[in-house]
This record gives sequence, structure tokens and C-alpha cells, in this order.
Amino acid sequence: MTMRYMDEFRDAELGRALAGKILGAVEPGRHYKVMEVCGGHTHSIYKYGIDDLLPENVELVHGPGCPVCVIPMGRVDDGIALATENDIIFTCFGDMMRVPGSEKTLTEAKADGADIRMVYSPLDALRLAKQQPDREVVFFAIGFETTAPSTALTLRRARAEGVTNFSCMCNHVTIVPPLRALLDSPDLRLDGFIGPGHVSTVVGCRPFEFIPEDYGKPVVVAGFEPLDILHAIRMILAQLSDGRCEVENQYSRVVPYEGNPAALKVMSEVFELRPHFEWRGLGFISQSALKLSDAYAELDAEQRFGVPGVRVADPKACQCGEVLKGVIKPYECKVFGTACTPEHAIGTCMVSPEGACAAYYNYGRFAREKELV
Amino acid sequence: MSEGLFPSCDHTRGCITCGDEAIRMRVVRIDADRELALCSEESGERASVEIALVQPVAAGDVLLVHAGTAIAHADGEVAA
Repeated sequence: MTMRYMDEFRDAELGRALAGKILGAVEPGRHYKVMEVCGGHTHSIYKYGIDDLLPENVELVHGPGCPVCVIPMGRVDDGIALATENDIIFTCFGDMMRVPGSEKTLTEAKADGADIRMVYSPLDALRLAKQQPDREVVFFAIGFETTAPSTALTLRRARAEGVTNFSCMCNHVTIVPPLRALLDSPDLRLDGFIGPGHVSTVVGCRPFEFIPEDYGKPVVVAGFEPLDILHAIRMILAQLSDGRCEVENQYSRVVPYEGNPAALKVMSEVFELRPHFEWRGLGFISQSALKLSDAYAELDAEQRFGVPGVRVADPKACQCGEVLKGVIKPYECKVFGTACTPEHAIGTCMVSPEGACAAYYNYGRFAREKELV
Repeated sequence: MSEGLFPSCDHTRGCITCGDEAIRMRVVRIDADRELALCSEESGERASVEIALVQPVAAGDVLLVHAGTAIAHADGEVAA
């Protein structure tokens, strides 16, 4: 199988041509701040050195869209309590296992004897429950609207297949409320947004219309290849220079404007909004996360086992909140690269490869050198 | 369990399940009753994928897969 069209989206010559057009579109003396909402974009930007192709007055700001980075310590502690105080098999995605709680990570809890296992999908966790009918299996669900349909389908399947030893601790979050919180934040001035490509395959483009309508900022939903991102930046700059602000879909080869109706339907059947949820670094945000609906309450691990409901303040030295809001660059954090590294993360932004700090730590040294000159 | 199927939980490649990214996979075989499909990655790795959200699906289709679930058709992105 050859990725015929993919190569074109990584073509260096086309990339330089687009960069030239971006350079031609910027007004000298104006500073542009564009937020890439999604951690997948942050990763691509550093991996392909997209920062280096942009004019100096176009600044990319990292957004809150890394599903691992936004999980607060209290939820990690709750997960560890669930895993250690009950005779269960606790399953979660790999990166989640390295997120620090107030005392330890899930990996460390596993080393201390808890039965914690990494899975690649909720379906894997359900399969494990079917293979081990004598054990309770809990899936620790994280992620934005890209991942939530997968959890919803698995819960629907568990019920349809009568798997009674499977349950879910739900930490799914939604992308619009933190964006609104960021836009309301007085310490941040943004000119436009690169919209999250794969979240949008599910929710569509319409949920982002409040950004141009209420805040007067352009949004361009973009793919993840280098040319997708450059193209989206050019489209945002074109809106700004034309005095337009609207939601445009650069990634229309995959993203339908109305999203995926089947995914939205299963999500609305299985989940309901939590009144509020705590985000790492951003605090409590109303109606920003999902829990299991009443119809699926018997599959809710929090109800089946009970969790302590721990609240833990973010570590003082860690400035993930400012990084998640785009107020500071990763290297401006007091502990970046010294006390906080991918091997020994203090903050969540250093844990996942999609986290702005980890992406910067791995790929960003050249960009930083450029800024220091 | 498909441990080792997607060896990407590391700092350099990015993680396809933990992050907000999806990967392209081609449908090899369909279990219509269970709405599951055996799909193949470009590297040849295979996995069971939920296809309920992207029906109708036929063998040979290219899907965008995230956390074991196909969330969109991606036939326009790749060629056989």
C-alpha cells in the first residue's frame, strides 16, 4: 500500500512555496498569534520544523488539546485508589500511566503490585474482561471527542454482549468549553485558531462557529501533514488581511462540516455532561466533561466501586497551566528541562508526546536557539 | 490484547491512542454481524476495528482509525 497523496502533503518544495505566500500575506510590524488547539498539531509543528518556515512575526501558541496534559492530579489519585483498593484489573492508555499523581504514577502503582495494564483501545479492555470473567476489569477513559465515541461503542457492546465484569471510569472532556475559557482569559491575545482535525471528524465544524461569531476570530480546521498546517496558517492570515472571520475547513477531504452523526448519536446515548470538571492548569470548567448517562450507570466504575474524589492542587513549580493557555512557551517554565523532563515529568505537558513541553523538549532546540539570537 | 501492535507510545513518534490523532488503515475482512473489521496498517500490522460509525464499509476501503474505532472514511487520502 503506497500513500500516494500523503507524499504530496510533505513535499518540501510546495512547503517553501506556501511559506513564501505566508510571508507575502503578513503586514510588517504586526505580530500574529495563532493557537493550534490540538496536541497532534503541536507534535507535527515540532516534528517537521514548521515554526522555522514562518516569518518571525507569526507566532504559534500551543493550546489545551492534549488529552493527557489536562487530566488533574486528583483524577490520577482516584484512579490509583480504584486500582489498589479493589481486586481489579485496571486498564488505560500508555501515556496515562506516566502522568504524576500527588504521590505516584500508575506505572509506579503497578510496580507496587496493582494489576494495571496498558491497552490500545477500550475494545482491548473489553476483550480482556471476556477472557477473564472472574476478574473485574475497569477502563480508565481519557480523551476529547475523537476518543469518546470509541468508549461509547465499547460500553454499548459490553451491554449488548452481557459482559458484567467490565466498567469505565470516565474522564472524557470536550473541546469547546476550554476554548471559551481561553478566549475569556484576559492575559491572552490570540488572532486565530487552527481547529482540531480529528475532533472535527466527530463534532464537525459548527461547534467552532461561536469563535468568529462571539469573539471575532478566524478558525481553520486543519489536517496533520506539514502542508495542511501551513495551508491553514495561510488561510487564517488571508481572513485577517481581508477583515473576515469565519470557520473554514482546510481538512475537507476527511472532515464533513456536520461531523459524524452516528458518533454523536452513540455519545449522546452513553454519556451526559458533568456539571463541572477540573482541568490541569485551567481549574474547574462548567459542562466541560462527560460521565456515563443514567442508562449506562451500571457500567460506571465510580458508582460500582466508589472513588475518593481527591482534589489536589497542581505542583507549585509546574507552570503547565500557563503553557496550556499559551501564556508562556514551554522553555520559559521554571522547571523545563531541569527538574521536569520526559523521563521524570513533574507536569503533564512533559508526559505525552502531544504535550507542548515534550514536543519542545524533543524537537524544539533549534527553534529556541533561533529565538535566543 | 494487542501489545506491540502500535509501537508508538514514545516521545518521537507520538501516540495514536493517547493523542488526538488517527491513523489510516485498510479493511481486509468484515464481520458484519458484530460490526467489526480486520484492518491493516501501512506497515502490515493488523487489528480489529469498530466500524459502526462509518457504515457502509467494504473490503479495501481506507478508514481513519482512532483508539480501535473508525471515525471517518479516508479513501481520498491514499491509493492502493
